[in-house]
Amino acid sequence: MDKAKKFIVSHAPFWHNGNSVNERYYHIMIAALPAVLLGIKQYGIPAVGVVALSVSSAILWELAMNYLTHRPITIADGNAALIGLLFAMAVPATMPWWAVLTGTFICVVIGKHIFGGIGSNAFNPVVLAVAMVMVSWKDLFDFDGALLNYDLDMVMAYPLAAVKHFGVGAIESFSTADLLLGRQSGGIGATFGLGLILGGIYLIIRGFIRWEISVSFLLGVFLTAWIFNLAAPDRFAGPTFHLLTGYTLIGAFFLATEDSSSPVNFIPMLIYGAAGGVLTVLIRNIGAHVDGVVYAILTINLVNPLLDKIRPKAVGKVV
Amino acid sequence: MTSKKQLQLAYGLAIGLFIVGVVCYAYTAFSAKPLDQPIRLMYKVAAGNVLFDHQTHADESGYGLSCADCHHHPEEDEEANQACGNCHVIPSEAEPVPKTCLDCHEADEIEDAIPMKRSDAFHKQCGNCHAEIEAGPLEKECNSCHVR
Ligand code: HEC
Ligand code: HEC
Ligand code: HEC
Ligand code: HEC
Ligand code: HEC
Repeated sequence: MDKAKKFIVSHAPFWHNGNSVNERYYHIMIAALPAVLLGIKQYGIPAVGVVALSVSSAILWELAMNYLTHRPITIADGNAALIGLLFAMAVPATMPWWAVLTGTFICVVIGKHIFGGIGSNAFNPVVLAVAMVMVSWKDLFDFDGALLNYDLDMVMAYPLAAVKHFGVGAIESFSTADLLLGRQSGGIGATFGLGLILGGIYLIIRGFIRWEISVSFLLGVFLTAWIFNLAAPDRFAGPTFHLLTGYTLIGAFFLATEDSSSPVNFIPMLIYGAAGGVLTVLIRNIGAHVDGVVYAILTINLVNPLLDKIRPKAVGKVV
Repeated sequence: MTSKKQLQLAYGLAIGLFIVGVVCYAYTAFSAKPLDQPIRLMYKVAAGNVLFDHQTHADESGYGLSCADCHHHPEEDEEANQACGNCHVIPSEAEPVPKTCLDCHEADEIEDAIPMKRSDAFHKQCGNCHAEIEAGPLEKECNSCHVR
């Protein structure tokens, strides 16, 4: 039974990029690397610790699940390592070791294997884990509190918290160039705008992620933020600020595009992405949370199966 | 890449990075040295957390205040540069006089001069200075300091 392959086929259309599953996850990790390296440069040894522990523990949880469920060893496909890397990118460099282990446990065991393993997860495992850790230990994700003892050569206030609490006056000191170049506080691999955008473009060109989702997500953020900004320019930040802060870019290119929790048809992908973008800004501007990306992506993951019902009529179908 | 190579890579990553991770955490934990002055401080308060940017208040490139503007007792003394909470504590049965005072005073000498609790000291000192300088949040502007 061990080696028996499960092969479930769903309705058309199918989409294949010509690569094996394996290669894909390694490419996504490479695309994420510039952003991670900048985070390591900024936050030093503690950031190396978080990234290393997160990637390795994700692989080890996966291995443990393989043994426990008597399945073939799947750690070679790179998916577990990718999950660990993405989790590390979202957290502050001061994340305690037990929270990293808990986070990757939630990713791999609860987010992925309980749903049936690779390709069966309803939610993006990383987003699920970030949300659960965030709800359980709120202070760990309070970037202002977490990074108190860092004095880097930049404005150290967490941009989204500043604008939420003190209005647009408090974010005048952030220039677009600063935000693009990662001169802002935040998750280890979530702040380097330019790096994330280049990584995303690479993945789109190589066909590893769908541009429809990323672009519609970003457009959703842009347009919604723009409307809020037009309505009350002293209260709500402009669209560029929202595009380049918090988890927007890592969300658009690395999280929302996760394959088994996102749709496959053209129109559904556009709706899925745009809904994520719109929700993100709604939560940020009028919701209870400082950043909305995590909850927005969980919500669109939830409606994904519904969206996938919108599909072209089968040709020649009679009934 | 063959899948055998990938498997080796995965085992290598798992073991190698685990060791790196443990070493980094250990290094961070043991090399942490106390700063000679805080950079930023966060007070966790039910009314909303307060972020106090100590460095910007004290630094020349920030607001350029002198240490003694805040660290006031005893006047003009390096000894004063300690946490307000050392002296501004609510007296208890076990500690009718804050322990720190006894470094410099006899207990009976200061019985009548026990300072107010820390949060009152903050509200008073922070608010008064901002009012005097006409910059920074006033005591009644709660939401400029306390955020939820
Ligand atoms: C605007 C007021 C202000 C100024 C100016 C200021 N401090 Fe402070 N300092 C504080 C506050 C408030 C605390 C926190 C006290 C507490 O939490 O109980 C503090 C804490 C400290 C501590 C940490 C004490 C501990 O054990 O935690 C040190 C050391 C310190 N200050 C030194 C300095 C020095 C040196 C200067 C001058 C370069 C200075 N401070 C200027 C307000 C100020
Ligand atoms: C070494 C002990 C000590 C430390 C440290 C200390 N205080 Fe005080 N503080 C006192 C004493 C004693 C008094 C009351 C006598 C006085 O007015 O000097 C006092 C009084 C005050 C008052 C009332 C002054 C008035 O005019 O009524 C304020 C406000 C205050 N402290 C704020 C602070 C703040 C803020 C800090 C930290 C930056 C701080 N204190 C640190 C001992 C201390
Ligand atoms: C680092 C030593 C030191 C500590 C700690 C200290 N004091 Fe003092 N205190 C002094 C000195 C020196 C003076 C006299 C000079 C002055 O007024 O600043 C003084 C003066 C006083 C006075 C008389 C003030 C006046 O104007 O006559 C009072 C009251 C007092 N301290 C109370 C306290 C209390 C209460 C504490 C503890 C919360 C405390 N002190 C902690 C050094 C200290
Ligand atoms: C001795 C004077 C002084 C004291 C005491 C002081 N501040 Fe300030 N504070 C300033 C000045 C000056 C500014 C500059 C305001 C500006 O330039 O807009 C400021 C600004 C601020 C701001 C606004 C910062 C911003 O970026 O707009 C906050 C918040 C603040 N202070 C908090 C505190 C807190 C909390 C305390 C007490 C622990 C405190 N301050 C004590 C002088 C003081
Ligand atoms: C200048 C900044 C500042 C302003 C303005 C301010 N606070 Fe505070 N407040 C603080 C700080 C700092 C503390 C943390 C004190 C501590 O932990 O010892 C605090 C603590 C408190 C606490 C907890 C008290 C305790 O004993 O634990 C309450 C309640 C509070 N503030 C209410 C208010 C209210 C209500 C207002 C408006 C009228 C206000 N604050 C305005 C800085 C401020």
